[in-house]
Amino acid sequence: MSFLSGRSAPTSGAVNYDKIDIAVTELDSITDFFNRMVGSCYNKCIGAKFPADGDLSKGESVCIDKCVAKYNEVQKKVGEKLQAKGAAAGGAPGGGSAFGAI
Amino acid sequence: MDFSNFNAAEQAHMTKVIEKKQMQDFLRLYSNIVDKCFNTCCNDFTSKALSSKEETCISNCFDKFTKHTERVGARFAEANAETAAGSK
Repeated sequence: MSFLSGRSAPTSGAVNYDKIDIAVTELDSITDFFNRMVGSCYNKCIGAKFPADGDLSKGESVCIDKCVAKYNEVQKKVGEKLQAKGAAAGGAPGGGSAFGAI
Repeated sequence: MDFSNFNAAEQAHMTKVIEKKQMQDFLRLYSNIVDKCFNTCCNDFTSKALSSKEETCISNCFDKFTKHTERVGARFAEANAETAAGSK
């Protein structure tokens, strides 16, 4: 998922804001993904039930581990399918977003 | 994320950006916990003050959520490390 690997060596001195932009976008994307994962796995494994105590039970801990693994798998699968769809459409991003009609 | 092809000025800039994002993330976590624990624990509005049962619930809810976030973070970091090792 990293867009930064395999690029050329750093240029000296000046700040390349395009590079920074891409890095910040990627960072935002990973942060968003993580926050959603925390929220979803909380809802699925712990939910809104009255907490008996402040520790995670064994069942909840196991559920969280599995939830994270599945979430990562789903991310990979969806990424693959998006890439396949993009390649099939000739590289252009598909319609269905607000930017497609411009 | 690999910053080895960033020069010193760019790395310094990224460090500042990351610090700001960490602070924003912390504030987001704070309001997230307040929201979740309020929804879980506070369902009786016959009184303005928190009952001791609700206070215990909030305390447990806070502990549970922070432990949950830590655990998810640990598994996420492991999965990332595996992916990075696998793709090298």
